[in-house]
Amino acid sequence: MSALSLYQLVALMLLAIGFFGLVRRRTLVGMLIAVELMLNGAGLSIVAAAQLTDANATLGQLGTLLVMGLAAAEATLVLAIIVVVSRRFGTTEVGVVSTLKE
Amino acid sequence: MEILAKVAFGLYVLIILAGGLTAVSSTSLVRALVGLIVSFFGVAGMYLLLNTPFLAFMQMLIYVGAVCVLIFFAVMLTRADGRGEEAQGVGAKRRLYALAAALLPAGGLAALVVRHAVASKQLPVELDLPALGAGLLDQYALNFELISLVLLVAMSGAVLLAWERKEPK
Repeated sequence: MSALSLYQLVALMLLAIGFFGLVRRRTLVGMLIAVELMLNGAGLSIVAAAQLTDANATLGQLGTLLVMGLAAAEATLVLAIIVVVSRRFGTTEVGVVSTLKE
Repeated sequence: MEILAKVAFGLYVLIILAGGLTAVSSTSLVRALVGLIVSFFGVAGMYLLLNTPFLAFMQMLIYVGAVCVLIFFAVMLTRADGRGEEAQGVGAKRRLYALAAALLPAGGLAALVVRHAVASKQLPVELDLPALGAGLLDQYALNFELISLVLLVAMSGAVLLAWERKEPK
């Protein structure tokens, strides 16, 4: 098996773990942690593809930096949403938080 | 030297696996966060193996330094201890769905990756930091500006969302 395939399989492992957590977790914070795992796998996959093939290495590394920036932005927004939800409902359990407007 | 690289790869895979499994299955959210940090460090090791030390550094700085602190603030807002919201077990049905959601897409993609393997280089490309900076300011300047815009919008959106309106007296 080539080196690239090994790195891609590790990235897919992160994707699988992230999906598992996303469905299994009961609270918004747990789901946020799972999403961060998946984004990490995406970054690893992009860098591996750029570094181990003839593709543009600069583009790959900068793309991963972009993914990291998006992950930071996403974590900021989810934190704000968690603040609002926990203020209004008193909990961040996804089963409880199911009304948009009363 | 090749043996050493394989040993390091296997070690990082184990670190990522252990951290990731702790992150998704621990009943305490603080422990889950520590698992997430461990798995981030494993991915940073993978970046070092891929000959991209700058990305490994950024991984520590952005993910471990910024994103994890943000998630820790979110953990503090919820009841995260061993008797908190995550502590009640999930049903067998939910666990089955979670397993299916994990295995179906990743399994399909893994079959694709293994069957249609792209020819890969033995050694990763060597790219020095000035080339990266030149690309950021020259060819991909628009993307650089757009990501700063996205971060600005996300920041102001977060402030706006969490703003507590004062009730008029």
